[in-house]
Amino acid sequence: MRNYLGETSKATIFRGKFSEPPPPGKEVVIVLGFDASYPPFTSINEAGEAEGFDIDVMKWIAKKYGWRLVFKPWDWSTIVTALENGDIDVIASGMTITPERASRKIWFSIPYYSYIHEIVVRADENRSLEEILNSGQPIAVQIGSTAEKWADKLLKEGYRFKKLCLGSYVEALEALLDERAVAYITDSAFLNPHLSKNPELKTKIKVLATLGAPETYGIATRPEDVWLREKINEALSELMNSPEWNELLKKWHLD
Amino acid sequence: MNLMISLSKYLPYIFEGSLWSLGLVLGGLGIGFVIGVMFSLIQVYGSSPLRRLISLYVWFFRGTPLIVQLFLFHWSIFPALGIKSTPLITSITVLGLRSGAYQSQIFRGAIGSIEEKQMLAAKAIGMNDWDAISSIVLPQALRIALPQISNEYSIILKDSAICFILGVMELMTRAKYTAIATGIALIPYLMAGLIYIGLTYIGTKLFDLLYLKMRIPGSVEG
Repeated sequence: MRNYLGETSKATIFRGKFSEPPPPGKEVVIVLGFDASYPPFTSINEAGEAEGFDIDVMKWIAKKYGWRLVFKPWDWSTIVTALENGDIDVIASGMTITPERASRKIWFSIPYYSYIHEIVVRADENRSLEEILNSGQPIAVQIGSTAEKWADKLLKEGYRFKKLCLGSYVEALEALLDERAVAYITDSAFLNPHLSKNPELKTKIKVLATLGAPETYGIATRPEDVWLREKINEALSELMNSPEWNELLKKWHLD
Repeated sequence: MNLMISLSKYLPYIFEGSLWSLGLVLGGLGIGFVIGVMFSLIQVYGSSPLRRLISLYVWFFRGTPLIVQLFLFHWSIFPALGIKSTPLITSITVLGLRSGAYQSQIFRGAIGSIEEKQMLAAKAIGMNDWDAISSIVLPQALRIALPQISNEYSIILKDSAICFILGVMELMTRAKYTAIATGIALIPYLMAGLIYIGLTYIGTKLFDLLYLKMRIPGSVEG
C-alpha cells in the first residue's frame, strides 16, 4: 500500500499502464473520466456524447498523437478512486490543482485555466458578507468541490452558517434562486460562462465577494503514468501557444 | 419554449437509460432468484454450519447499504480476487447477490408455509428427500412466493439508480446530466419518474399474469 509520502509506491512507480511509450504500432486507448455535470468544461449533448472545453482539449491532444479516446462520465465524488483503480486513465474535468490532491493520489499536468472563487447572492440581498456568513442560514456548494473546501475553511474560521451540499454547481445555483440557500459559493470558471449562456440570470444574482487567490485547473493522471503526463504537457503547451486556444476559449464562453 | 425544445432533444438519450436500468434489474433479479432458491433450501433443509453461513450472508447483504456493497466489490473484493470487472458487471453482480439475500428469505417463508405433512406423505410413497423437495415443495413454494418476487422487482428497479455512483449510465444519471446540460431541473427528473412508474406497472402486471396462470386454486395463498 501507499503511504502519504508515496515512499513505498516507488516500487510500482514505473509499472503503470502508461509509464513508458507503447510499442510502435500499438493503438493507445485513453479512458477519459469526466463529471458530466460541469458545463462548459464537461457535459453531455443531445446525442449523449461528451462535450465541453476540456473534452475539446482532450480531443485535440488525442488527435495530435493518434490516440483513441473513450469517454466515461463518472460521479465526481468517486472520480479520484476510479482513476487510482484504473476505471479511467485521466481526469480532464475542470479539476483544480490542490496540494492535497497533487501530493499523493494524482499528479497533474501543467495548469491550463485559472479562476477565482466567488460568493454569490440574490440581487435583492442587502446584507454584508460578514452578516451572510454569520446568518446561520444555508450556503450552497457542490459536494466534493473546491467550493465545499472553502465552506469548510470558513466554518473552521468560526463563521456560523449551514453548509448545503448539492450534486452539482447548477443544482447549488438553483438552491440559491429557490431561496433554499442565502448564498452560493462557486468559481468564476463555472459562473461566467453560465451567465453568458443564461443572460436572464444576470439580473437575479450578484457576486458579493471573491475568496482567496486565483486557482488553476490541470489534467489529472496516475503518478506512475509518466509518459502519458509528458505527452499531455507537451501537447497542452503547444495548444495553449497556438491561435486555436483562444478560439476554444471563445467557443465555450471562457474568454 | 426554447428550453422545452432543447429538452425534447434529450428524450432519446433519457429513454436509452431505461434499457440500462432494465438490464440491471433483470440481471440482478435473475442472479438473485438462483441464489435465493438455493440458499432458502439450505436454510430450511441444510446442516447447521451451512445454515449459519447463509445467515451471515443474508445479514451482511441486508444490513449494509447498496452503495457500500458496490464500492466494496468494485474496488476491494474483485481486485483482490484478480477479477477485472466493469462497472456494469459489478453492478449487476452486486444487485444479484443483494437480491439473493432478500429472495432467500422470501422463499424460506414460502417453503415454511407448506405443511410438513406433504413432505412425510411424499416419503411415504417412496420419494427421496430431493425428489420430494423438487417436485412437491418447490413448485408450490415458487407459486406462493410470486407476489413477493413482484414486489422485489419494483424495489430493485428503483435501487438500480444507485449504480450511477460507478458510472453506469442508467435512467437517473441521464436525467441528472440532462437537467444540468439544459439548466432545467424539474422536468427531466419528472420524466425519469414517469418511466419508472411505467416500468413498475408493466413489470408487476406481468408478474400478476404469471401468478394467475400458475396459481393453484385452493392452495395456501402467499
